[in-house]
Amino acid sequence: MTTHLSRRSFLTVMGVGGASFALGYYPTLGDEKGASLEPNAFVRVDPDGTVTIWASKSEMGQGIKTGLAMIVAEQMDCDWSKVRALQADGDGAKYGRQGTGGSGSTRGMMQQLSQMGASARAMLVEAAATEWGVDKSTCRTENGKVIHDASGKSKSYGDLASAAAKLTVPAGQVPLKERKDFSIVGKPTLRVDNHDVVTGTAVYAQDVQVSGAAYGVISRRPAFGATLKSFDDAEARKVPGVIDVFRVTSGVCVIGENTWAAMKGREALKCDWDMGPNAALNTAELSKRLRESVGEHPAMPEGAKVVDATYDFPFLAHYTMEPMNCVADVRADSCTVWAPSQSPDGVQSQVSRMLSLPIGSVTVKVPLLGGGFGRRGAGDFVSDAVEASKQAKRPVKLLWTRDDDMRNDGYRPMSHHAMRGAVIDGKPVAFNHQFIKAQGGSTRTAGTPGNAGLTYRIPSATQMNGNAASPIPTGAWRSVDHSQVSVAVECFIDEMAQAAGKDPLQFRRENTSDPRLLKVLEVVEEKSGWSKPLATGLSRGVACFNGYGGRTAHVVELSIADGEVKLHRVVCVVDCGYAINPKSVEAQMQGACVDGLSTALFAEITIENGGVVQSNPLDYKWTRMNHMPKVEVYVLENDPNPAGMGETGYPGVPAAVANAVTAATGKRVRKFPNRLDELV
Amino acid sequence: MPEYTINVNGQQKKVEAVPDMPLLWVLRDLLGLTGSKYGCGIGACGACSVLIDGEEMRSCRFPISDVGAAKVTTIEGLSKDGSHPLQEAWIEHDVPQCGYCQTGNIMAAAGMLRSKPNPTDADIDEALGSHVCRCGTYTRMREAIKAAARGVK
Ligand code: FES
Ligand code: FES
Repeated sequence: MTTHLSRRSFLTVMGVGGASFALGYYPTLGDEKGASLEPNAFVRVDPDGTVTIWASKSEMGQGIKTGLAMIVAEQMDCDWSKVRALQADGDGAKYGRQGTGGSGSTRGMMQQLSQMGASARAMLVEAAATEWGVDKSTCRTENGKVIHDASGKSKSYGDLASAAAKLTVPAGQVPLKERKDFSIVGKPTLRVDNHDVVTGTAVYAQDVQVSGAAYGVISRRPAFGATLKSFDDAEARKVPGVIDVFRVTSGVCVIGENTWAAMKGREALKCDWDMGPNAALNTAELSKRLRESVGEHPAMPEGAKVVDATYDFPFLAHYTMEPMNCVADVRADSCTVWAPSQSPDGVQSQVSRMLSLPIGSVTVKVPLLGGGFGRRGAGDFVSDAVEASKQAKRPVKLLWTRDDDMRNDGYRPMSHHAMRGAVIDGKPVAFNHQFIKAQGGSTRTAGTPGNAGLTYRIPSATQMNGNAASPIPTGAWRSVDHSQVSVAVECFIDEMAQAAGKDPLQFRRENTSDPRLLKVLEVVEEKSGWSKPLATGLSRGVACFNGYGGRTAHVVELSIADGEVKLHRVVCVVDCGYAINPKSVEAQMQGACVDGLSTALFAEITIENGGVVQSNPLDYKWTRMNHMPKVEVYVLENDPNPAGMGETGYPGVPAAVANAVTAATGKRVRKFPNRLDELV
Repeated sequence: MPEYTINVNGQQKKVEAVPDMPLLWVLRDLLGLTGSKYGCGIGACGACSVLIDGEEMRSCRFPISDVGAAKVTTIEGLSKDGSHPLQEAWIEHDVPQCGYCQTGNIMAAAGMLRSKPNPTDADIDEALGSHVCRCGTYTRMREAIKAAARGVK
């Protein structure tokens, strides 16, 4: 057996305190070459050359762990093959705001992370220059090395790490590498987690191995506003493997030796619920309330051709592939949670408040998130696990079953849209959009017209917002309000184009002055072959979007046979500003396209007896492989700043589908999802 | 509680479980093989797919008492080191987004390739048409399957 002497034990054995002395002995110490360089919370360079970069924003499929690491690595001039990207713990004091959403991660962190990378690089350069006795301005960096051309000397970052670690972190701004010199950012780059995912070794929250952990599921309210009167756990406790049954805020929790025991225990549990104030509520009632909130449209110019339309959108569930869940280990004076959260720092404060623990005693591990789409910004699944672990007095892997997940979401709100527009001589002259959402405690009629925020030049374009009282919890869903507002606008623009006697794509081009939008429209026209006739039986629709710093244009081709819509082709053109990782931009567009097709044709959440009807992948239907059309994505880069990509790809798709359905049938879509027997 | 000996990834594994415990929970909670995922528990999403004697099976609906002498292959047993052509193609085509559905889809594709080494689009639709990928990676999955079938990465 060979004894490997670590640097620490070497120092102890030798009884020397001087690091400089020890430094001289590196070569005799095998792999142990000294300290790592850790200039900030996001970067560490180890003596073996590994550069670890922590992503403070949560990876939920958008590729952020890869993208953020690329930004740091670029400014550092890393050898990408030596970069290890890790998910940071939830720790607001260390990482700042960690909320992940609104397509804001890359845009919000670009500058900060570039600085982090650049200052690490500056320290490595300084370490090399000092060692070589040369001016640091005569050194350059490339692929994980500092190079001094004049002397032909070069040294790897790993070899420089411990010397650099003794230097002071540069104060103030470090000059950044320019985009023209980039070799990592902008290059199509594979996701860092791919290998773990395809081998099944990627760790999601329920996959963490925590010794002594039990498994928990919760029996939840059948209606929003229902309260638990009592429960009888006699049968549940007889189920083999059931350990405990107790009340928690969100219902009654069954703890089992394994997930199945907990599930079976829940089945055997008898809960008596007071159905509460919403027991009679259903979708039709909410729809009625929405319509009653429509106000007066402003007067349209005289002599204009007036166009009227309404559109209805349903509630949508987030339906992340991995249902909500969390693992918690509550101890007397500390707590660790494994939380698939879009707000890791928020989870830390939440748990600290819940348990009255100092924030530093709460450790928040962030495993991979099996999808987010806005759902995991909430902390409900964390509370469940923390309460369960506290009462069970052991670590608990708390799982929401699929029906729990689908019936206890914060939904994209149901909405009603009343639109009126006016056209004179083929030009749009006025536009009014009343956007009524089912949200909040009181009903409010759409009142004062505000700016409609359109990307089109229409002299009088206004939007009025109202709402219908609804107890159904709501939340941010991909593209947030744009998932309704911009979809309705893009359907209505087609109706205005028709009134103007114009081709819908030309009408859009004629009425926007945004050069980037014009460009995506022009490219989608060319790539889709818009001006050429389609094969018999095919119809197409177009839509575009300007938001989150990006622009998109979509053309959808479909046919209708046997009373069903068959999708043939989607052409997506996106101007992403500039692409950090072109592969991720394309993936986001492909993903948003599937969301767009699913919600245009299939998915809706309906309410009956105050609760959600749908509970599984069969009744909340999503696009599957066999529904998929050919999807082509063309990426343009027409801005110095990267645009948000998570949300941007969505709104154009359902609108383009609806417009294509109209082109195919000659009838207008008034409702989402589009059903052929509901066209007018 | 009954005891079962099942063949998982070429190894004999002894477990104690109630007869109706779905294989998914046996794999995940009793054997620590967490590559197979829970997505719906009713056979409707494919996140839990494994191979039983080479055929795709939804492990969330397959009771332990039915396993018998069948050979169970999970994602952990598809290859030792991620070198199955599908896994390599998946990486190379950058298929995963959140990744949660991917192991189930890979297992379904692996089952298909055994009987259809050169799958058509229709074959792929059929083999994967009952899976959900909520992130919408279908386009890349299709490309990866075709590349794996061609033996090209
Ligand atoms: S978890 Fe088995 S099919 Fe969904
Ligand atoms: S990659 Fe997220 S569900 Fe398929």
